[in-house]
Amino acid sequence: MTTTRRSLLAGAALAATFAMTPAFGQSPTEIELFFPVPVDGQLARDMATLIKEFNEGHPAIKVTPVYTGSYDETLIKTRAAMKAGKPPAVSIMSANFLRDLQIEGEIQPLDTLIKADGKSNDQFMGQFFPALSGNAVLDRSVYGVPFHNSTPILYINAEHFKEVGLDPENPPKNWAELAAAAAKLTKREGDRVTRWGIAIPSQYDTGGWLLQALTYSNGGRWFNVDYAGEVYYDEPSTLGALTFWSDLVKNKVLQPGVQQNGAVSTAFLSGQASMMLHSTGSLTFVRSNAKFPLKVAFVPKNLQNQVPIGGASLVVPTGVEGERRKAAWTLINWMTSPEKSGWWSRATGYFAPNMQAYELPEMKAFLDKNPDAKVAVDQLAYARPWFATYKTVPVRKAVEDELANVLSGKKSPKEALVAAQKAADEIMKPYVEQTALKLPGSN
Amino acid sequence: MSVANREISPKLGYGATLLVAALWAVPFLWMLVAAFNPESTGAGMAALIPDYVPSLANFAEAWGLADFPRYGLNTAIISFGILAVQFVTITLAGYAFARIDFPGRSFCFYLFLTQLMLAPVALIVPNLVTIASLGLYDSLLGVMAPYFASAFGTFLMRQAFRAIPRELEEAALIDGASIGQRIRLIYLPLAKPSLIAFAIVSVTSHWNEFLWPLMVINSPDLRPLTVGLATFTRGAEGAQAWGVIAAGTLIVSAPLILAFVLFQRAFVNSFVSSGIK
Repeated sequence: MTTTRRSLLAGAALAATFAMTPAFGQSPTEIELFFPVPVDGQLARDMATLIKEFNEGHPAIKVTPVYTGSYDETLIKTRAAMKAGKPPAVSIMSANFLRDLQIEGEIQPLDTLIKADGKSNDQFMGQFFPALSGNAVLDRSVYGVPFHNSTPILYINAEHFKEVGLDPENPPKNWAELAAAAAKLTKREGDRVTRWGIAIPSQYDTGGWLLQALTYSNGGRWFNVDYAGEVYYDEPSTLGALTFWSDLVKNKVLQPGVQQNGAVSTAFLSGQASMMLHSTGSLTFVRSNAKFPLKVAFVPKNLQNQVPIGGASLVVPTGVEGERRKAAWTLINWMTSPEKSGWWSRATGYFAPNMQAYELPEMKAFLDKNPDAKVAVDQLAYARPWFATYKTVPVRKAVEDELANVLSGKKSPKEALVAAQKAADEIMKPYVEQTALKLPGSN
Repeated sequence: MSVANREISPKLGYGATLLVAALWAVPFLWMLVAAFNPESTGAGMAALIPDYVPSLANFAEAWGLADFPRYGLNTAIISFGILAVQFVTITLAGYAFARIDFPGRSFCFYLFLTQLMLAPVALIVPNLVTIASLGLYDSLLGVMAPYFASAFGTFLMRQAFRAIPRELEEAALIDGASIGQRIRLIYLPLAKPSLIAFAIVSVTSHWNEFLWPLMVINSPDLRPLTVGLATFTRGAEGAQAWGVIAAGTLIVSAPLILAFVLFQRAFVNSFVSSGIK
């Protein structure tokens, strides 16, 4: 084994040739996919299976699926990796982070890739449910491709409903019916509550999302869809929503304090709560673990049926170029195709963003067997974009911290919303000053 | 260490200790009970007293969800690799700060200590940039590198070395011992309690670390236990199977608990014996 300088050089040249021409199939383009685990551990394995299938079908590309924690941690890791000069080729990003990433120039528009496929942006987005565009198309450019999406939904324990004389086929449609049902379903032994009428998660991320849902149902707007520097926390529609939520606590049909996602679904599954407001993303897990007949229904309205979308989109960070960018695009299109979209939807409970998925026979059969999944899809007709602003996470936490204060009885809803608005405005101030308040001659 | 001669009756003190111990033990007890519960979500999940026939189903499921042997190996390499390098660096730095006179010694030492004030989260991006430029991104060495020097450990060793009488070192010096021999044969054996205390703190903190390895590691093969465990405990939008989580957590924490139980005697003995010397 004598390695001469010449053979080394030759080897390097050969390697370079292969690197230049991945079409030969000798050296596949290696890309990474950053993904948070949306529901439970099984899905981390499902994701590995999905990517393995992709790699087998695409010898010129080798994708490594990289588990990156929660949605918030995925954002931190993607940003840190970019700063370190190692951006992943594709990242599954919470749909409401896209606006902030776009403002900071951290994700790239996909328009040229769409155009190269011979489509217009409208044609491309036309394959997805219209409600998803608001969080994916920013300033007329496509920045994200919807991968798995959700809406909040009301889960009902039909057994408990029958037990107290309510009709599970006729679930609460408005806030009055919801409050009345919750009161009826709550069970007490003396002062101690043994069964809560309803459970609502209020932890970070979910709390803000569900308050937005109630505000939407109350005719509110929550944030300015067209401008990233405005939120409407201190408004009558929001005040009504928050007061309704806090009244459920006051009337002792909802457990006081901040409730975690996992604790809420556990309480519901174990029969300690008769209804819960939660993401459709939990649907498959809840369905397969419920030991009672399960019903789901639209989020009850006060003034109108309207909910925000949730879930995540596939994005390509800035700095991903050339072959890696092309490979990323191939992966994105494959993952959001009707077949894969539908498969992932059945595995998780998220609805499939690609409308074509619902035309496939296996999906039709699935919906016939699981009518609850159909409710989630039907509610989409009433869905609007998810809260997204400049610095989405802190602006969201501003209202979630105040929500926590209200639910633990430390503040009145009005006080809380005034404080939340003030905090949010303060966070968005630098952006507002650089945009809406940057006027000619005002320097 | 003279609490006994206070006014509180020993019984009361004993009771208080038991209470604190119970508070500390309840989550562990619950984890144990939940891990063997055949039902993962039922009404009995919250019970502290088992009311079921123990089942290993949760362990089987948790074991299948992640490649625990490999993750365990990675975690062990990270924790003990860091510790091995730290032993060298904190001993040498501790000796320098304790015994070698050089201009600006106190200033350097306090500068070193300010590292303790920095929240690790604030260092994620700068550290990652450094790691990437060294070519250590997505490697176990990259996870370990930022911890090779430890302000806390250096402080601990400096204090321990300063407490050792200079005369011992001077006697060795007269016998012709080199600086390396003096550290190895005089200082280190006498500072053993500090080394062990530091080892426990260092190993447990790196064993449990989550965010930094999550940032550095991309390859599934290089994941440590915490990241592997998180794949099924940190679902972003969903429900949680407590039994499986409890079983997984037990699998992850078992090696450390076991090591502590096995070496508890050695730990205590070493404290006692070195203390007497």
